[in-house]
Amino acid sequence: MISTEQLLDELVDRWTRGEPLEVDELLRRAGPHADELARLIDTFLERAPRREPTAESVAFVRSLDEPSLLRARQEQRLKLDDLTEALVERLGLKESARTKVRRYYQDLELGRLEPKRVAQRVWDALGDVLGRDARELVMVRAPAPAAPAMYRASNHLLSMTATGLPDADLADRGEPDEVDRLFGVGGVG
Amino acid sequence: MSEVTPLSMRDARAAEDNRLLESGEIDLLLAGWTETIVGRCVAKMRGPVGHDVAQAVCERLWRELKAGRHRDGRWPFSVIVHKVIGFTCAGWYEQGWGESEWLDLDDPVAADFTDEIALQSELEGFVATLPPADGEVAGLWLFEGLEPDQIAERLVKQPNAVYQALSRVRLRLREWLET
Repeated sequence: MISTEQLLDELVDRWTRGEPLEVDELLRRAGPHADELARLIDTFLERAPRREPTAESVAFVRSLDEPSLLRARQEQRLKLDDLTEALVERLGLKESARTKVRRYYQDLELGRLEPKRVAQRVWDALGDVLGRDARELVMVRAPAPAAPAMYRASNHLLSMTATGLPDADLADRGEPDEVDRLFGVGGVG
Repeated sequence: MSEVTPLSMRDARAAEDNRLLESGEIDLLLAGWTETIVGRCVAKMRGPVGHDVAQAVCERLWRELKAGRHRDGRWPFSVIVHKVIGFTCAGWYEQGWGESEWLDLDDPVAADFTDEIALQSELEGFVATLPPADGEVAGLWLFEGLEPDQIAERLVKQPNAVYQALSRVRLRLREWLET
């Protein structure tokens, strides 16, 4: 087994060369010594000067104004249609549900849908597709300075469907279907 | 003879951070810290959740920079970055975290912590503890990213001597990180 010392050397070499540090990979390779290695890496990075920004890191920072879920999808290089297809498949929905799933997912991504009303099955499916906890991505995102007003507005909008129709209008159109229930739209969820 | 002096790298980075803050190039400033933020968060959280924590750290710092915070240069930006990493990682699994007030780093009553961080050893300090010949090699390796052959050429030394020096430096570095 590779030693903690060798893995730390790798980390320092990557740092000096300006290469990606890939700390997860090093910790995985450390096996039972991951804790020891993690402490050394943490201390090293705390004491080391920062590195020069790369094109990728600048692009990442500039993307911070975009919603977290959107960023996660972009990181996986998934188009909205790709993600929709994967969601429909994982949720076991019919092909005819695709349009509505796409619309609701996009609303969720853009913060127009209340995440707390979205079913766990949807979060599980999104987690599979995005490779990370999608609910966490949406929930931990602290409000931007202008967000309180937006949230107040969205509280009002919560009485409306994600399609912009008030619940009452939806009710006029019939009972919520499975997709509505999954995304907590129309007074369900 | 190397042009690297023990504190030159830290001073140069700190000066560059201040320049970027003053000129409003905050995207470049934060971009320079992202690798450190991600690396430390993954290490502290012991796994992939560290990427989510790192994202929260970056988002918080980005919001503050856009709001014009930290431009007075009261604390080195490095101090602010490491403090935010520390309390974000520490509080990640606490119930209600994210809804409570953030620690205000610019608040005078919250400022004592920075003394501890500002005074702690940094990598440049480690290089300064080495014998001069090894310190020269370490400086070129750590701060200029030179390979052993390049260091040998720069210092007009035999490559084997540089390899031996680097071996001693790596050992001392591990010991220093464990203190």
